[in-house]
Amino acid sequence: MTPETTEKPDDEIIEVQDLTVRFGDLAAVDGISFSVRRGEIFGFLGPNGAGKTTTIRTITTIQRMTSGRILVDGFDVDKDYLEVRKRIGIAQQHISLDKHLTVRQNIKQHALLHKIPRSEMDARIDRAVELLGLDEYMDRLVDELSGGWKRKTSIVCSMVHEPEILLLDEPTAGLDTMSRHVLWDLVRTLNGRGTTIFLTTHYMEEAELLCDRVAIMDHGRIVAMGTVDELRDIVGRVTVETTDAEGRTVRRHFADRGSARTFAKSLGDRYYSMRRTTLEDVYLSITGGNLA
Amino acid sequence: MTGPLTILDETYRVAWGDLVYIRDNIGEVLVTCLVGPLLYLLAFGFGLGGSMEQGSSQYIAFIIPGIIALTTLSATFSTVSMKILLQRLFYMSFDELKLCPIHISSMVLGKTLAGTVRALISCTAIMAIGHLVSPDVTFDPWVFVVVLVAGFTFSCFGMLAGMLCNHTQRLNLFNSIAIIPMTFLCGTLFDVSALPDGASWVVYALPLTHVSGIMRGLMLDTGVPFDSVLILLAYTAAFFAACYWLIRTNRC
Ligand SMILES: Nc1ncnc2c1ncn2[C@@H]1O[C@H](COP(=O)(O)OP(=O)(O)OP(=O)(O)O)[C@@H](O)[C@H]1O
Ligand SMILES: [Mg+2]
Repeated sequence: MTPETTEKPDDEIIEVQDLTVRFGDLAAVDGISFSVRRGEIFGFLGPNGAGKTTTIRTITTIQRMTSGRILVDGFDVDKDYLEVRKRIGIAQQHISLDKHLTVRQNIKQHALLHKIPRSEMDARIDRAVELLGLDEYMDRLVDELSGGWKRKTSIVCSMVHEPEILLLDEPTAGLDTMSRHVLWDLVRTLNGRGTTIFLTTHYMEEAELLCDRVAIMDHGRIVAMGTVDELRDIVGRVTVETTDAEGRTVRRHFADRGSARTFAKSLGDRYYSMRRTTLEDVYLSITGGNLA
Repeated sequence: MTGPLTILDETYRVAWGDLVYIRDNIGEVLVTCLVGPLLYLLAFGFGLGGSMEQGSSQYIAFIIPGIIALTTLSATFSTVSMKILLQRLFYMSFDELKLCPIHISSMVLGKTLAGTVRALISCTAIMAIGHLVSPDVTFDPWVFVVVLVAGFTFSCFGMLAGMLCNHTQRLNLFNSIAIIPMTFLCGTLFDVSALPDGASWVVYALPLTHVSGIMRGLMLDTGVPFDSVLILLAYTAAFFAACYWLIRTNRC
């Protein structure tokens, strides 16, 4: 974070108010409100079809909203879309690259579109490429790359213009273990330099590891939001996991160890494990409908 | 801040990838753009024209401007519409365009530039060939201006089609109801006045008719029909505005 900044560290860089996005009869996003603070890593979780991608695409001005209002750094997504676009970078879930161009050409096209001055172009591209080790793939056609390398190319594209806000829609889907760790480090580094990061993921450890705050979305609505600790408090900090008579896994959550132990004793000689509640427990509990 | 220089610079930035593709695949581009018009020249100019009483030379001089007009359509519409459709629905890279801080006019100009360039390249080639086979055909620098305007107009039309269609089959519809009729009816291969009354009105409403008319006026020195210039420019403005509106309202 830049020390000379005069902004309050917790001011809101993305504000979403009553956002609804409909596709015909389906409300993909159903009246959600939330905000992302400047300089934080914000995670968006939720089952397939929850509306995460639609929300992100609406924030980035690509998707039309049905109703509601979104401000990005104070600019209205509908009216001041050019100002909004200057501030954001996005790596889409559906990788958006021109398949008949090479990796280098795609990155350059991207840099051109984002008005990077020609004198800085090559240096910026080299810097971004180095971060994810794309160097040796630069002159290959995107069409010929494996899925993971396509994803890395699209991530490099999303940040070559060094945006203030980086939106990553499932950035680690399809990446190998090593690359995933490289990407996590990269996200932390960029965040350390002041970039606000908004990411979606289906990997709970990833969200737990990276995100300052997370929101869980289901059926177009936000069903829970807060820091991982806050969410843990909602369902209970201690989890007891055991199996029922048919062998299915059952998880029960408790506010403290005491009540968890009492429950565990009541299980008799059934096997169980007792542990700190993870984000995955919270997620399953919330999206599984256990929590009304 | 939005001077013409900004728009020019942005247009180039948008067009860059498509232009690079033309540069790297110039052979393929020439073949796809030239084979059609050359076939028309052979089949109609020499084949059909050769069987005419007054001999083929007069007819060839007549159809060369028509074929050049036709090329401004054939070299642009299908490649631009297909490319936009691909970039929108399959590569998803059209999103990148919608995401960049660039004026919408520049987006339309940039996305149609590669089409306009194709029109210029192919028409220049056809003109060179035309000049060899028919010395009656003269070249006015204005011909290039018309190619530029017509190529841009039909590229905008292609962009419009590419933005409106959500399947490749839909594009075929555009081909059947607009492109094929224009190819054959719009005074490219015969004089429109030979058509029955009702049909000639329909044909008069189509843009390619006026490109043929202007082109023939310029190349055969018979005078440029002023109404055709106006109608062509009206089409240019309409297609451009439609593209602009679709992007502005995020309907593509
Ligand atoms: N262009 C579209 N037209 C019609 N329906 C759409 C469109 N895009 C998304 N949807 C629908 O909107 C809903 C939300 O989709 P969205 O892609 O936002 O979900 P998601 O949370 O990103 O899911 P995933 O985890 O699978 O990526 C889904 O039911 C989807 O079918
Ligand atoms: Mg998604």
